[in-house]
Amino acid sequence: MKVSDALKVIDDGWVKKPKGFRVHFQKQEVSEWVTEYSPGEQEKPLDSDVVAWRLAWKLAEASKSNMPENAEGALVNIYVVDDLGNPIKYYASNQFDVFNPMEI
Amino acid sequence: MEGTLDKYKEMGDLIASQGQTFVIALVILVVGLIVIKQVYKLLRRLLERFALKPQMVSTVTNIICIILLVLIVATALEHLGMNTLVIRRVIFLVSLAVIGIIAIFRPLIPTLPFKVGNTVKVGNLLGKIEATTILNTRMRTFDGRTAFIPNSKILNDYVINYHFTGTRRIKVDVGIRYDQDILKAKQILETIMIEDPRIQLKPARPTVYVLDMADHCIKLGGRCWVNNLKYWTTRCELIEKTKLRFDQEGIIIAFPQLDVHHYHGDVFPEFHGEENQVS
Repeated sequence: MKVSDALKVIDDGWVKKPKGFRVHFQKQEVSEWVTEYSPGEQEKPLDSDVVAWRLAWKLAEASKSNMPENAEGALVNIYVVDDLGNPIKYYASNQFDVFNPMEI
Repeated sequence: MEGTLDKYKEMGDLIASQGQTFVIALVILVVGLIVIKQVYKLLRRLLERFALKPQMVSTVTNIICIILLVLIVATALEHLGMNTLVIRRVIFLVSLAVIGIIAIFRPLIPTLPFKVGNTVKVGNLLGKIEATTILNTRMRTFDGRTAFIPNSKILNDYVINYHFTGTRRIKVDVGIRYDQDILKAKQILETIMIEDPRIQLKPARPTVYVLDMADHCIKLGGRCWVNNLKYWTTRCELIEKTKLRFDQEGIIIAFPQLDVHHYHGDVFPEFHGEENQVS
């Protein structure tokens, strides 16, 4: 196998770079839980997971401080996903972390 | 006395016959200048919204305004009854001569090594070029200051233009303690760089080198390439991730330290298994 072929195998098998990141969250609207993303699915995703996790944390903090749990508009199950919607590990813990987790 | 009276009379006749024409020509000129000013602003705003590059906006706007100015002056002169054909011919010939000289001597004319909008380092100043004139260059530094740098200084100083090449190399140097697993540390650092979507595979793939066996650490050097415009944030985030991931994986980052050994009496510690005595 040529080195170039080996590199191709590595790129296809290991180096799966997401094309972007979005913050996933759920909020209650008229007694129904709605899933949303920031930036929206039609918008250009963020190019940094660090920035995305920072945004997720800020959303979680804002939701915690301003709204009582289960209140309409409260944001729960906040985490970062890639451009395909797959959850991304939190770079600080290397785990699939979720801010404001809630079973729905 | 009569001569002076004649002069005033002549002037009065002239004003009576040509005054209205002169005033109209003046009005054409003044109104024209006001219109040009408004057109300049409007055109600039319009081109900035739709047009390609900032330097193109300035050039196009200036050319259009100069043409308009020449037309207005010619119209005003024509209204005064002057034959502007000669003026037009002179302007045409001068324009051709200037274009010819620029075309021929362009390689010899010193030009600034950047364009408006580029991020540039001139001497100790780092910032974005906002405008260039014949005398100086206006730069806005990243901490919000505006610097006016004489072009002569720029031409005589070293200049780094960060837009000249599309990519830039990031260095992530980290020192680990001598008792740490070098291979594991290398793998972690390489993985961090490879997984980042902003890191490019060209001109070179991310690589980790063992740079040095220094006084207090084994020095690892991560090298990877990124789009020039994303250099700063990517570098900062890679360093942050490296520290956090090393902590998670139990790789201990070394810090500068100096071991001082204090011995009591005349006994040295064991070196290579042998006890030494001072004779």
